[in-house]
Amino acid sequence: MAKSKATASSTKDKAEPASPAAGGDGVLSELQRKHAEQEFAEELAELARCDDRPRPPNWKLSPWAVRTYLLGGKLPHGYEITPKYVGNARLIEISVATLATDRALLLSGLPGTAKSWVSEHLAAAICGDSTMLVQGTAGTDETALRYGWNYARLLAEGPSLGALVPSPMMRAMQTGKLARVEELTRISSDVQDTLITILSERTMPIPELDTEVQARRGFNVIATANNRDKGVNELSSALMRRFNIVVLPTPETLEQEVEIVERRVAQLGRTLALPAEKPALEEIRRVVTIFRELREGVTLDGKTKVKSPSGTLSTAEAISVVNNGLAMAGYYGDGTLRAGDLAAGITGAIVKDPIQDRVVWLEYLQTVVKDREGWKDLYRACREVV
Amino acid sequence: MSLHVFGIRHHGPGCARSLRQALHELQPDILLVEGPPEGSTQLSWLGHEDLKPPVALLVYPPDAPQRAAFYPFAVFSPEWQALQYAHQQGLPARFIDLPRAQALVLDVGAAEAEHSSGDDDPPQLDAPALPNGPAQPHGPQQSAGAPSSAAAVPAHDPPLRDWSEEVADDPLGVLALAAGYSDRELWWEHQVEQRLDPSGLFQGIMEAMAALREECRATRRAAGSTPATGPAYGNGRTLEALREASMRQGIRAAQQEGYQRIAVVCGAWHAPALRDPGPARDDALLLKGLPRVKVEVAWVPWSYTRLCLRSGYGAGVASPGWYEHLWEARERAGLRWAARAARLLRQRDLDASAASVIEAVRLAEALAALRGLPMPGLAELNEAILSALCAASPARLRLIQQQLEVGHRLGRVPADAPAVPLQRDLEAQQRRLRLRPTTEQKVLDLDLRNETDRARSQLLHRLLLLEIAWGQPEEVGGKAGTFHEYWRLEWQVEFSVSLIEASVWGQTVAEAAANRGRDLADKAQDLSALTELLDRAMLAGLPELVTHVIGRLQAHAAVSADVRQLMDSLPALARVIRYGDVRATSVQQVLPIFGGLFERALVGLPGACSALGDQAAEEMAASIGRAQESLDLLDRPEESSAWRQLLMRLLEDDSIHGLLRGWCCRLLLEQRAIDADMLHRQARLALSAAVPPRQAAAWVEGLLRGSGLVVLHHDPLWQALDAWLQDLSHEVFVELLPMVRRAFAGFHPPERRAMAEKVRRLGAAAAAPATLPTQPGQEAPLNTERASLVLPVLARVLGVAAHKGHMGENAS
Repeated sequence: MAKSKATASSTKDKAEPASPAAGGDGVLSELQRKHAEQEFAEELAELARCDDRPRPPNWKLSPWAVRTYLLGGKLPHGYEITPKYVGNARLIEISVATLATDRALLLSGLPGTAKSWVSEHLAAAICGDSTMLVQGTAGTDETALRYGWNYARLLAEGPSLGALVPSPMMRAMQTGKLARVEELTRISSDVQDTLITILSERTMPIPELDTEVQARRGFNVIATANNRDKGVNELSSALMRRFNIVVLPTPETLEQEVEIVERRVAQLGRTLALPAEKPALEEIRRVVTIFRELREGVTLDGKTKVKSPSGTLSTAEAISVVNNGLAMAGYYGDGTLRAGDLAAGITGAIVKDPIQDRVVWLEYLQTVVKDREGWKDLYRACREVV
Repeated sequence: MSLHVFGIRHHGPGCARSLRQALHELQPDILLVEGPPEGSTQLSWLGHEDLKPPVALLVYPPDAPQRAAFYPFAVFSPEWQALQYAHQQGLPARFIDLPRAQALVLDVGAAEAEHSSGDDDPPQLDAPALPNGPAQPHGPQQSAGAPSSAAAVPAHDPPLRDWSEEVADDPLGVLALAAGYSDRELWWEHQVEQRLDPSGLFQGIMEAMAALREECRATRRAAGSTPATGPAYGNGRTLEALREASMRQGIRAAQQEGYQRIAVVCGAWHAPALRDPGPARDDALLLKGLPRVKVEVAWVPWSYTRLCLRSGYGAGVASPGWYEHLWEARERAGLRWAARAARLLRQRDLDASAASVIEAVRLAEALAALRGLPMPGLAELNEAILSALCAASPARLRLIQQQLEVGHRLGRVPADAPAVPLQRDLEAQQRRLRLRPTTEQKVLDLDLRNETDRARSQLLHRLLLLEIAWGQPEEVGGKAGTFHEYWRLEWQVEFSVSLIEASVWGQTVAEAAANRGRDLADKAQDLSALTELLDRAMLAGLPELVTHVIGRLQAHAAVSADVRQLMDSLPALARVIRYGDVRATSVQQVLPIFGGLFERALVGLPGACSALGDQAAEEMAASIGRAQESLDLLDRPEESSAWRQLLMRLLEDDSIHGLLRGWCCRLLLEQRAIDADMLHRQARLALSAAVPPRQAAAWVEGLLRGSGLVVLHHDPLWQALDAWLQDLSHEVFVELLPMVRRAFAGFHPPERRAMAEKVRRLGAAAAAPATLPTQPGQEAPLNTERASLVLPVLARVLGVAAHKGHMGENAS
């Protein structure tokens, strides 16, 4: 109980100073990771400035502008919006349209397919606040979705609104913003079902005080779920029915995936202030190629079958492998990303199970990497690590 | 006097609605429609209550019905609506396209051009113009008539071409591209079909098309190329020019007859060419001297499946089901669509609540708003249904998609209206052969020596080739003579539709069956499929098809590597050679193929027989049996002797599965290629203690396949078998018992009884050879002394020393 109190109040504390700090770069640049609405504050402001289309109640931007924010584009006065999601535009359109119809959105897909990323940016664009976040874990209990109590005040004053510690969900309802639930399927079923009332009645009863919190217009829920872990806590059909479901796929083409990795690595490199130079596209392409081939179980030319390891090898992992390599190159190498800097990262990402995955990876190295033209350096580097 | 040209898209419900409204406002006194003028006579059926769309107007030359062309109409086709309007108002209505009678003649020349230019659009004789005709990426609108062209329609995958060709092929695509759409259909849907206010629509289409035509002509001139919209017929007469000239002539005729408000409905592409007919001289010159042929016209029922591009011979509509919804209730189309999807899901036992339907509709509407559309289109609805109703599982959507988007609606045609030639042909044959179609089941016994019955059998076989299973051949147990065939007949109502479907293959039963068979042969991937087809072709009495299949067989035989397939294809070929077909030529063709296949089987067989599992050995034995059967059918000593030598080799080869060796032994025995001693030796070898019992049992099983009579009288064989059985340990015996039982299970009861007698005697003979030299079945006690007195006399009468011989044998 003490723990839940502490986290609830700390998020509150964080939310308070964060919003005034949005203007001052001094505080922000100290942050390890900025929220989407902080990092892209300028883009959001520009979008809002030239957005003249009707907005749903309590939305900061119109659905068209939200779409542009996520997919990128050029504003009438020439301002360039960077794409946040590279892939099928229809999926983003469905997501935005779902939220515009007051219906909850469930983003589902393999790990590392940008579910949380999309959810964060949707929340940032729609209500300018992506911090109403409930992280789903096996230990998430009802207080995380509803409310908890400040026991000191509860004992001193008895049940009162003052003694109540609202959850992010409750605060989203009160303010008419978007609440995000991460990893919905990891939450146990009885806790999941708390959402049913919230989603259908748009209200949260507080029986202890004989009152309720009714959601303001603009409130909605974006949940993400991992369909690898489908079996963990399958959504009840009653809950399922309250969500529109959008499945985010793994990137369709090699080029798309390379673009995503390159863009993200550049962004992250900037925030982490790595001393290495921008990685060569060729190295990124190699990492993405390896990941794609192992993921799909067949080489890109479609000629050789390879075994798939137990991990998902998502785009997100490719990004972290390249980033890791960059750090290695920056601190221990000559500042240029080389095969040797990547080898350990790639191996670590692939070999999740020390026995089976190792065999898979060795087989792949011997049958595919070894004979591929221009990959000798990578082969040698990886063989050293394995 | 005024002339109003309405450029439409075929099967566009939005166009149909706008057209209907425009006609109401215009109140024309005559209606001219792009279509075959021959069909004008059939327009009198329009008001008939049994004429229910989708229907198609079929125009075919009676002497060459395979060149038929179909002109389909759905309830949402603008032409259909215009014609209905004319009928209700009592207006005269006419088709004014180039007469099919003339177009057909040109078609002959076109057919060659079509084959030479695979990726170009086939000639658009039957394609009623744009947006949907030549522009279709999926082939011509209505050339489904001729099987040749249906088969020849290339799966359009146009490579990059220069601009002029692109415009000519796909004018709307160019417009859509200019508007920033990648999908032409989508562009048209958004611009035209979803337009809520139809005023100015036709004017707009007219202007767009006029600009496009001008552009197209200019680029063509610049490129100096001939028009790409179809082959030219001398003097620069392109089909398009001819058709438009003909349509203009039709308009002029109506003008001369003094009609005051003339409404013309044609494909959008042609509209600009028709709005001002001008002087008649040029057109008359152009059309002068075109030959014509005789054609006939009929209404045929059509189906949405046929209307849909996905069925292969694209008629140009992706989702007739959706269009019908659009037509019937445009404002509520989305709602009805989602509700229907939910119903279909429920039929498949998937959850789909009404609340989800509401959400799907709301999502679709929000999506449409987001995309700037006046109303949700098919794409929005499908995405919404996928997300809200199907839990984002594409598999669920696919389950209902066909039914939802295409639908199973069938059209209906009055019974007394002219019918499809194929149907007529079948009816004529049914009358001639006195085979009445009834829906009750009955069994027909055909005696193939009788000419009528043979014709009946051929008709049924041909229908089977067309997948009209009116009669199912019955398997008859026992020894039914080879000249008898049993059929189970049952006519089903759907067959009338199947007949229509089949009429793409040809217009008489024989022709359609032959064409369909040809198609099957061209698609067949392996030898056995081809040989099976050969059999069917023979039974159906289609000599041309037989020739064709043999040609394909020849091509395939060269590349097939599977020995079993090679052997399996032999019997059908042997039957062709033996019973032939009346035409000696095909026998001449088949012999070398048979020889080739046989040689290759001969070479490959030893290799193919080694290292086989029980199951594979069983299959191989069956194949060897088939090869033997084919050889037995033919009198070809050289091949038979080569075959016997091969079997002999297999027999001696220890590495081969026992079943196969036993079976070879058996086959050789039947042909008397091995004698009793040899058999005996083989039996001893195969059943000796060193051989694993399972292999030995398999050998016995192989040897005892087929009739038991052949082996019944080989005593040494039985003795070897007996010795083997007795030597088996208890456990092994129990293990092998099922195999041995199986080996004997195939025999007829009398054979089994005879064998049991044999075994009994064997035991008796072994136990007491001296006391029971004769029939052990005889119960009566024998006075040996007395009997022995008779023996010398008897021996003398017979002239042999029978007694001694018998004794000797038993002693051994």
